[in-house]
Order: sequence, then structure tokens, then C-alpha cells
Amino acid sequence: MTQDVRELNNIARQIRRDVVTMIHLAGDGHPGPSLSCVDIVTSLYFSVMRTDPKNPRWADRDRFILSKGHACPTLYAVLARKGYFPVSELPTLRSLNSKLQGHPDMNKTPGIDTTSGSLGNGISIGVGMILAGRQQKHDYHVYVVTGDGELEEGIVWEAAMSAKKYKAGRMIVFIDNNGMQSGGAIEVVSGIAPILPKWEAFGWHCQEIDGHDIGQILAAVKAAQAVKDAPSVILSHTVKGKGIPFMEHNNAWHKAVPTKEQLAEALAALGGE
Amino acid sequence: MKLENTRVAFTETLMELAAKDPAVCLVSSDSIKALRADPFMEKFPERTYEVGIAEQNAVGLAAGLASCGMIPFFGTYAGFITMRACEQVRTFVCYPGLNVKLVGLNGGMASGEREGVTHQFFEDIGILRSIPGTTIVVPADASQVRHAVRAVAKVPGPAYIRLGSGRDPVTFEDDCPFELGKMRVLREYGSDLAIFGNGFILPRVLEAAERLKSDGIKATVVEVHTLRPLDVGGIAGVLKRTGAAVTVEDHNINGALGSAIAEVIAEEMPCPLTRVALRDVFPGSGHPDPLLDYYGIGVKDIMEAARRSISRKQ
Repeated sequence: MTQDVRELNNIARQIRRDVVTMIHLAGDGHPGPSLSCVDIVTSLYFSVMRTDPKNPRWADRDRFILSKGHACPTLYAVLARKGYFPVSELPTLRSLNSKLQGHPDMNKTPGIDTTSGSLGNGISIGVGMILAGRQQKHDYHVYVVTGDGELEEGIVWEAAMSAKKYKAGRMIVFIDNNGMQSGGAIEVVSGIAPILPKWEAFGWHCQEIDGHDIGQILAAVKAAQAVKDAPSVILSHTVKGKGIPFMEHNNAWHKAVPTKEQLAEALAALGGE
Repeated sequence: MKLENTRVAFTETLMELAAKDPAVCLVSSDSIKALRADPFMEKFPERTYEVGIAEQNAVGLAAGLASCGMIPFFGTYAGFITMRACEQVRTFVCYPGLNVKLVGLNGGMASGEREGVTHQFFEDIGILRSIPGTTIVVPADASQVRHAVRAVAKVPGPAYIRLGSGRDPVTFEDDCPFELGKMRVLREYGSDLAIFGNGFILPRVLEAAERLKSDGIKATVVEVHTLRPLDVGGIAGVLKRTGAAVTVEDHNINGALGSAIAEVIAEEMPCPLTRVALRDVFPGSGHPDPLLDYYGIGVKDIMEAARRSISRKQ
């Protein structure tokens, strides 16, 4: 666990290298939406969450839900770099009998707290985890990363109501607001904007940050943790494909596979080794 | 006909389980009243989770509870679980194998009775049978609901129990045992044919078998209350002895008991089969008895089906 932003940025760079390499080797996956949430997921696992990679089912651990399950290459890389399973398993992504399914499977991958991938469901499941913790006298937090596009699902708002009703102060939701979904810009596909006033109206504690600024991510978590009687949402402005210039802001990389040459270009742009 | 409320039987049994196990809890989608669960809520307020009219969220929340060791029972109208929240049931309960117990009210058109089609659910079992992983029980009456609830609570993993309207016919004595996953022979008049039935319409099946006996046709009546795991060996054994079959259920004609028996017949023990069920149409409002008669699940329909199956015996 570290609060050193430079160190966390270095880890995030490693995660990005892992992500593009995995997707290249798998021949399938979602690089753009994986890269937009790297800094958030890295910060949570390496600086915030109470976890024990040697005991992934520890009852007192903080929970993490990747509601946007298609970004799982990021989560797999983070879990491997945390020590939940060997980094050497990352290249098995999406292959037959791999621990690393195309979308997260809580029974196959050590460290995955919730099966996910069908969009919109993470917050609902997280509320159940909060209520179980309350009943069992555990004080864990539940961290959720949701996409912005998946806020179009009705269950998100059903769950938002429940979290407010049950004063789920230990629930902290990051919205990976990269502004794009499969079909294009979110404001073109749906009428979801403006996002934050909706959460305010639902009674959530709201913050807005740069989702690639690890200092801002950590500060927002601290502020959210201080709120005991309401759930927190952190609208995180991000860039789809962040870190790799030819992928940034380009929705063609929502689901696409870098060629060998593109992978080399991506790794060179990221730096590190 | 003696009636007893299967919903009350469920809630009373849940309270008994909750008193023994602090992990047992109830999730409601504004369905406390429908479940007759006010006494549960009063006794265990901290273990009653009310999400309002939001079934998808109820299933998601139950999955979250179960993933942290609780044993949530979520009850509401059968279709709102198996249709409105179908994908949550499939992906977040059945796929991870979480210990969520689903309790569907108004199972069958008779249970929905005067409410009309929006509240008559005759597709629930077919939908769940197409999804891997969940135990499926169709109890015959209130006392069997008590046994079934205790039985599914003992087996970790997803389960679905079908309940009725609250005015549900009584078939069994209170102390009649219940064995999850096992069919049971209710009458053995002879081996002219087997009549397989389940749910609250069993009294009709028994009456038909009795009248057939008077007409010289000797049936074996079998209750198949557990659709998953299905007692394939037991069913095939009965088919071998009888060589002809009828199925009777308050469900659409495809997907549930009739389909399950047809599958066993096709793969294990070929013989003629006639299915008595709702014949792939939407029914309507009405008192349960005339409603069942009108839509082809009458005693006469069962008797005709029996004669048809016997006439086709090799």
C-alpha cells in the first residue's frame, strides 16, 4: 500500500502495458474502456482497499465490483500485479479453461468479488454486500466502478434509491465518464446527461474529478469515506484509450485488437518495460 | 375442498428458519403484504430488506447478500422474478451459484385466478428450466411448501419454489414427508398408464384416476414436485411398468412438467404421452375451477388424455 502518486503512476503504466499486451495475445477484448479506468482501479487496489491476496475470500476485505465488466483486462492485470495469481497467467485471457474469462467470473478468478459484464448491475449487488456487512458486523467498504453508458440501465437507479434508503455510507461508486459507449458518444446515443444532478437528486454525496489524476482519486476517496450516512459517487472524467495516443478519444478502440505493430507502438508510447 | 394458504405456510417456515440461523433474511419488492410476511418483518426488521417495486434490484441485492454469506429469500409474483428479473436471476444468481432462494407467487393460471393474465404466471418453470443451476420445486399444497422451504434451505445454491394465490387446495396430510429431487407414487391402481402431475391441481389428477378406475382403467399416479434435479431414474421406472403416460400441470404446455417427462420418454423409455396443460394461449380472469375446466385442465380432460395414451400403446 502506498500513497506515493509517482509510484502509483508507475504501477498504472505497467497495468496499461499488461492490458494492451493481453488483448493483443487474446485476439479479442475492449482496450478503450479498459484503459480509461486503469488509474482508478490501480489506486483502489494499491492505495485504498483492505485486501489480502493470499486470502481472497477474507470476510473482512473491502469489496470491488467492476460493473463495467468488459474492462476486466485492467482488473486482471491489477489482481495479478497484487499477487492474487501469477502474472504469467495474464496471456491466457479469453482462452478455453482460463481463469480469465471474457468477463469477470467470481468463481474462476481469485480476487474477483462479483461476476459482472451484464451492464448496470454492479451497484445493486454492492448494496446487498453493504447490507450483509452491516448484519454481520463487518466494516468493509464496497467500491464500484461503473461506466457512464451503463447508467442508461434502469436497475442503476433502482439501486441508487436503495443505497440512499439504507444510508450506505460505505458504498463508493466511481463513474468512468469517458463519454463514449459502443454506439458512439453517450450524449448522442442516450439522454443521460447531465449525470451528476441525477445522483444529487437521488441523495448521494457527489464529487467530480479528473479520473486520471491519482492525487484527485485518493483525495476523493478520503472525502467519500468521511460521509457516513449516504452513499458516494465520484464522477470521474476520463479518456477512452488513455495512455496510447492512437487509441485516445477514438471509439474504434471500444472493442478492437492491436496488431503486432500497433502493440509495439502502444508499448513505446507508454514507456517502461 | 379444503384450502390452506401457501403464502402463510412459506412465511411461517421462513420465520422458523430465521430464528435458528442469523443468515436467513427476506428481500421484498413491495411484496411483504402479498407474501403475508408482516409477522416476519415485525420479528426480524433488521433482516427484512425492502427495495420497493424494483424486482431486478431485489435479485441483484439478494445476490450481493448471498455473496457475503447471507441466505436471502426473495419472494414476489412468479413472473416478476422469472421475467422482469430473468437476466439477474440467470447471470448473478444461477451462474455464480449463489445461495439465493426465489419464491414465486401466483404460479399457474389458477393461482392468478381473477387477476387476469398480467398476474397469472404459467411460464415460470419453463423459463427457469432453460437456465442451468437452480433447484426448481412445485409443491402441491401448504404443508408441502413448509417441507420444501426447509429442504431447499439445507442445500446451498439457487432454488425456486412456486407458491399459489393463498387459496390453495390441500392434497397432503401435514406430516407427509417431502424428499427433494424424488418423485413419489400417490396411487397405484395398476399399470395401464402413468399420470404425472404436480402443483395445486393434484386433486383433479387424483379424482380423474379414481374415476378411470371405476371405468376399468388402472393408473399409477405420480407426483413430480421437483423439476430440477429431475428424478429421471424413478420416472423411467414408472414408464417401464406402465408403457403409457399423461402429464397434468397448471403451466403452459411447453417447458415444464410435460416437456420434462417427454424428454425422459424420448431418451429413456419411449411410449405414448398426452400432455394436459394450458395449450399455448393466454387465459383470462375467472374462478379457478371453471377457469381450469375452460382451458383444458379439467378432470374430463385428464380422463380423455389417459384413454388417448392407452389407445396408442404398442
